[in-house]
Amino acid sequence: MKQRALWSAVLVAGLALAGCGSATDSDSSSGGSEEKLVVWDWKSGEASAAPYIEKAKADFAKKHPNVTVEFVAQPFDQYYTLLGAAIQSGKGPDVILFNGGGQIRDRVDALAPLDEYVADDRQRLAGWDAFTKDGKIYAGPVTLQGHPIYYNKALYERAGLDPASPATTWTEFVADCAAIARAGAKCFALGNKEGVGIQFWLSALASGILTAQEYDDWIAGRRDWNSANVKRVFQLWQEAGEAGLNNDGANSTAMFNDSFALFQSSKAAHVIGLMSDVGHWKDFNEFLTPGKLGVMDTPVVTAGTTPSLPYDGGIGYGVAKWTKDPKVAADLVRSLTSTEALKAFYAEAGAIAADSTIDVSQAGPAAATIVSEIKGGKPALHVALSSKTLDLMGRLSQQLLSGSITVDEVVKQLAASDQAG
Amino acid sequence: MPIGNAQPSVRPAPAGRTGPARGGLSTERAGNRARRSRGGARAERFAPYILVAPAVLIIVALRLYPLILGVNFSFTGDGVRNGLAVGLDNYRELFHDPLFRTALGNVGLLVLLLPVAVAIPGLLATFIYLRVPGHRFYRGVYFFPAVLSPVIVGAIFNLLLAFDGPLNAVLASVGVRPVDWLGDPDVAMFMVVGVHVWATFGMALVVFLAGFATLDAALLDAARVDGASLPQVIWHVIVPGLSRTIQFVFVTTLIGMLTSMFGLLFVMTSGGPEGSTYLPEYYIWIQQGQMNRPALASAASTILFVIMIVVGLLQIKLLKRAGRED
Repeated sequence: MKQRALWSAVLVAGLALAGCGSATDSDSSSGGSEEKLVVWDWKSGEASAAPYIEKAKADFAKKHPNVTVEFVAQPFDQYYTLLGAAIQSGKGPDVILFNGGGQIRDRVDALAPLDEYVADDRQRLAGWDAFTKDGKIYAGPVTLQGHPIYYNKALYERAGLDPASPATTWTEFVADCAAIARAGAKCFALGNKEGVGIQFWLSALASGILTAQEYDDWIAGRRDWNSANVKRVFQLWQEAGEAGLNNDGANSTAMFNDSFALFQSSKAAHVIGLMSDVGHWKDFNEFLTPGKLGVMDTPVVTAGTTPSLPYDGGIGYGVAKWTKDPKVAADLVRSLTSTEALKAFYAEAGAIAADSTIDVSQAGPAAATIVSEIKGGKPALHVALSSKTLDLMGRLSQQLLSGSITVDEVVKQLAASDQAG
Repeated sequence: MPIGNAQPSVRPAPAGRTGPARGGLSTERAGNRARRSRGGARAERFAPYILVAPAVLIIVALRLYPLILGVNFSFTGDGVRNGLAVGLDNYRELFHDPLFRTALGNVGLLVLLLPVAVAIPGLLATFIYLRVPGHRFYRGVYFFPAVLSPVIVGAIFNLLLAFDGPLNAVLASVGVRPVDWLGDPDVAMFMVVGVHVWATFGMALVVFLAGFATLDAALLDAARVDGASLPQVIWHVIVPGLSRTIQFVFVTTLIGMLTSMFGLLFVMTSGGPEGSTYLPEYYIWIQQGQMNRPALASAASTILFVIMIVVGLLQIKLLKRAGRED
């Protein structure tokens, strides 16, 4: 017995002291052969993405006729888990689809910088910031993702409001919400089960709360969590919950897609949605009809602020650093972000493409409003935060809604997490 | 002690070899016989090792080696400290993380709820055994949820327990205020455990029914003749008669709770609200898949492994004691 205990002690001590090896292999060897590029994504399996993939493949075949491209569609639920395993082993796909923001920034160790290859695309495409870390670009943007405030014009009419001129200040907005409540609908469709609701709230309302200086500082990484305006974001969130502006049970309502279903079925007049993929103009158009779907500017909370559309690069393709010839892989990324390919993506999959030269007048007034606001738009605030801080913010926002925490405590914890990351 | 027993069995061989030499009487024949038996003894000595080698190699290569790698990873860093030895930093971080503490606390809660999770199938099996009206029907119905996947069960209960769902509608019709079953941190964990018990008690019920098959019916009859009430029959006849079955169900139910709640958590609460329904498994998945912290996830896995070892040892102890009583 003594001997066994001794051996265990030696083993544990040895492991603790040595701690050699690593969880994610820093050295890497090549995946895929020279003649073949492997692409990982969660899109290429969908029927609506087929024309896009086809166009991109054709474009790439013109440049490199003897390189074959294989698309491997992974399930999105498991995507980053599988990718983590591939990165750990230092082997895997050559070209990888990423969500902009934290998901790609946390993994740039495994990626090759693309600055020299994509220089010609810088003007044509928007949304690069979400794929940039420390001044280097790691992916070419395919779609833009942002958080417009959609509203239901039919409910506005029922509540006796003018659907053509939604509220421009927060005070007016709350008054409108009261009218909507009298008409039997909620003001906001909110799904905060996953803790994502607060992210959308922060980004959609910030341009009407933070001063331009505070906004730019936030994006640049100088975040003052103790400023009165940052606190105001969370106070409004709490007040909106207490005042009954949200649907009941927001903490147990899934954003994808229960909260969007509430908006589509006219049970709530507003929703902070997305621009691409899901919960966006194309989905809402189908249920509410394009004529009844509007996109409004952020109501001004702090006098003197100018509302702007919060958006970033949504998804984009990056190149793994273990690929044999980064130039060829980067050319594939350029084909995947070519105007022709992106046009197919916008039309079939219902996304606001990163290419601002595409004409969207066929998609209804909501999409047209969004595209017209892209020029004046700014990066979304939550995208600048680390996944860890976002996770914490999600849990704290649930506590704010249930009233078990104060705003001061929330910003204190978030500041600590933000500075640690 | 296995080690103590093993030693005498290998000692006689050298003793036999030195025996003739000490006497100084070794002839050629005796020497030959000694050589032959020496070769046979060696083969006999190695045979067991060779025979168990394939199994041992498989266990070492596919189980122990990855396990040691995982434990080793847990002493390295993530991100910029990737590959560097960080000592016990990951463990320190885990125990300072309120989320991980909640996850461990929830393990404790599962242990506390265990008697309920065992009593439900036990009682229902008793009723079936005592042939309440419709017992054949109930036997099938009770087992039915056990064949559903956790994802389907979770989706069904998401609908039933939604704030504007049927359960709250029923409550409202009798004048009870609606409860946010999956959105209230004080309630959500109990709901998930309740659904897990609902979905899995069919298996335990079958085990109980098998246990009842070994129960001596004469004892029940004797108790009835003596005028025992139903609770008295259950407490003084059925429970002692089924003690081994009950212990077995206890252990298997606990293991099921600790290792197979992931699907339900994922579908029903995603660890929320406010992180109140985290379990170590879910925490590991979030850290590795969502937060890109494989080393921290390894440390959490190591702790979960230690917990499972303790549970496993307790299980062996319980089953051994039950065997002795027999």
